[in-house]
Amino acid sequence: MAGVTTIGVIDDDRMLVDGMRAWLRDEPGLRLTASAATVGEFLGLCPPDGAPAEVVLLDLVLRDGSTPTGNIHRLRETGSRVLVISTVPDRSRIVESLRAGADGYLTKDNDLPTLAAAVADIAAGRGAHSPELAFACAHDTDPARPRLSPRERQILLDYASGMTLKSAARRAGITVHTAKDYLDRVKTKYREAGRAAYTKIDLARRVHEDGLGGS
Amino acid sequence: MPLRRLTAWRGTADVGSGLERARSFMILATLLYRASHLLVGVLAVAQRQHGPVQYAGVATALGLSALVFGTALRRGWFDRWFVTADILVAGGALPFVLWAWGGVQRPDSLGWAMLLGTSGMAAAAVTLERLHVLAAFVLLAATHLFAYHLVGAQPGVLVGHVSSLVSSAGIAWVFWWYLRRQGRLLDEANARALEAERHRARYAERLAHHRALHDTVLATLTALAAGGIDANTPRVRERCAREAAYLRRLIQRTADEVPHDSVGAALEEAVGSVESLGLRVVAQYHALPEVPPAVAAALADATREALNNVRRHAGTGRAHLTATGSGGEDIVVTVVDQGAGFDPGTHVPGLGLRGSVHARMTEAGGRATVESAPGDGVRVELRWPA
Repeated sequence: MAGVTTIGVIDDDRMLVDGMRAWLRDEPGLRLTASAATVGEFLGLCPPDGAPAEVVLLDLVLRDGSTPTGNIHRLRETGSRVLVISTVPDRSRIVESLRAGADGYLTKDNDLPTLAAAVADIAAGRGAHSPELAFACAHDTDPARPRLSPRERQILLDYASGMTLKSAARRAGITVHTAKDYLDRVKTKYREAGRAAYTKIDLARRVHEDGLGGS
Repeated sequence: MPLRRLTAWRGTADVGSGLERARSFMILATLLYRASHLLVGVLAVAQRQHGPVQYAGVATALGLSALVFGTALRRGWFDRWFVTADILVAGGALPFVLWAWGGVQRPDSLGWAMLLGTSGMAAAAVTLERLHVLAAFVLLAATHLFAYHLVGAQPGVLVGHVSSLVSSAGIAWVFWWYLRRQGRLLDEANARALEAERHRARYAERLAHHRALHDTVLATLTALAAGGIDANTPRVRERCAREAAYLRRLIQRTADEVPHDSVGAALEEAVGSVESLGLRVVAQYHALPEVPPAVAAALADATREALNNVRRHAGTGRAHLTATGSGGEDIVVTVVDQGAGFDPGTHVPGLGLRGSVHARMTEAGGRATVESAPGDGVRVELRWPA
């Protein structure tokens, strides 16, 4: 179906899922195809030949004891892209999501056009940015955080302060295109750092499972 | 040391902690003791018109005393090496030098030099470690016995001097022990009082939160739960959005577990005042520092004015507020909109921007920067300290 992006919603708040369904009904470019309260339940709805939705809106913290990292890995393995949403911007978990490979983050109080734009960006393979995500990265105090260049940091901070990308670019004396590039690069750095860490943990686990590590 | 900073703002930095007070008292007491001995020395040498070695001896004693007590007064406590030098030179060597080269042959001419040892002993008793104090005492006692023996003093004089050595050390040490103990008790009492005050402040803040929640979120939810209200009208939705934003900020502000939240509370008031006039404020806080109340008030006033400017001129109904610290005392607050903006080259800033933002921040020791371009929103940055 040309021009229509399929969306899945994973949130254990029934009211939010209902509200989202009502919201998306009137949005021509988006179609809600599946919703569930947990990732497991959602993957159960998954057709055997692929992802149930191109973009999955995933609640940052589900009450089933799962972690953002685990949830995002499971969803991305099916080929879906993940937009993380939450009521309150919990910065350390937002950063954790980014490291785990989330494509974007939004608070639930954003309006429909913002949400639709983020989904469109993600579906098209472009990075979706939001001030909340930029703020979480800009003020990440984790000692293992990726190293950012001064320019990347400046654009990140300005964007986090609520400026449009255009204003942040003007302020830095660069083009909007370059500014977006900087934000994309920050995201990539986080994802690569996350991937490296995950590979290490994953490898350790496999070594352990294969019984190669013990004796 | 946040505790120290806190007292500094309350204008009590000059008092210092109990230990500091005990120390300054001991420095003063031993200084007076030594001064009385120096006075005896100066008078003795001046009256009897002795030779250059005697004068040099007094000068050395004066110099060492200036070193020992000058350093102590400046640094807040004695330097071990200077005290040791004083014991060795003024207490140990001087009497022999006076005897050998100064022509001193009688006990009463040597008396002033021996006295220096006793006041040196008092300083040593409170400064040096126990074994070193003992060593200093043995050295000085030996000096006294031997030097007085050389000038042929009576046994009574000997006993008197050694006992004054013991009592100087003993009294100084007992004073020191007592004052330190009192100081510690005082510090503990102060800490308890401060903690109680903090507790009261936290309680008051919690009460204020509860009251605010009661008047907003709880009232709205109760009304909705009672039914009879269409939740989908713009007015109800606007109210819900505003209250959700309030809760979101509340969670952010308390996420960092800062014991004192004067900036957070002040900014919240500023946000509240413009929200009630219809502006949506998206706020993000990080590591808000503890700042003097006057600074928090200035930041809040400037923020309020900047937000009011957004409300009046941006035409978007939405403002972004961030307030971040770096882990130290400094803070940066930004108020950003994505609205109409203005040309800084031709625009004459209004009274609010000049007075309530720039002047207010400068007055508090901070700085305000306003940047804009037509169609590109406005960015106000408040920075403290400047």
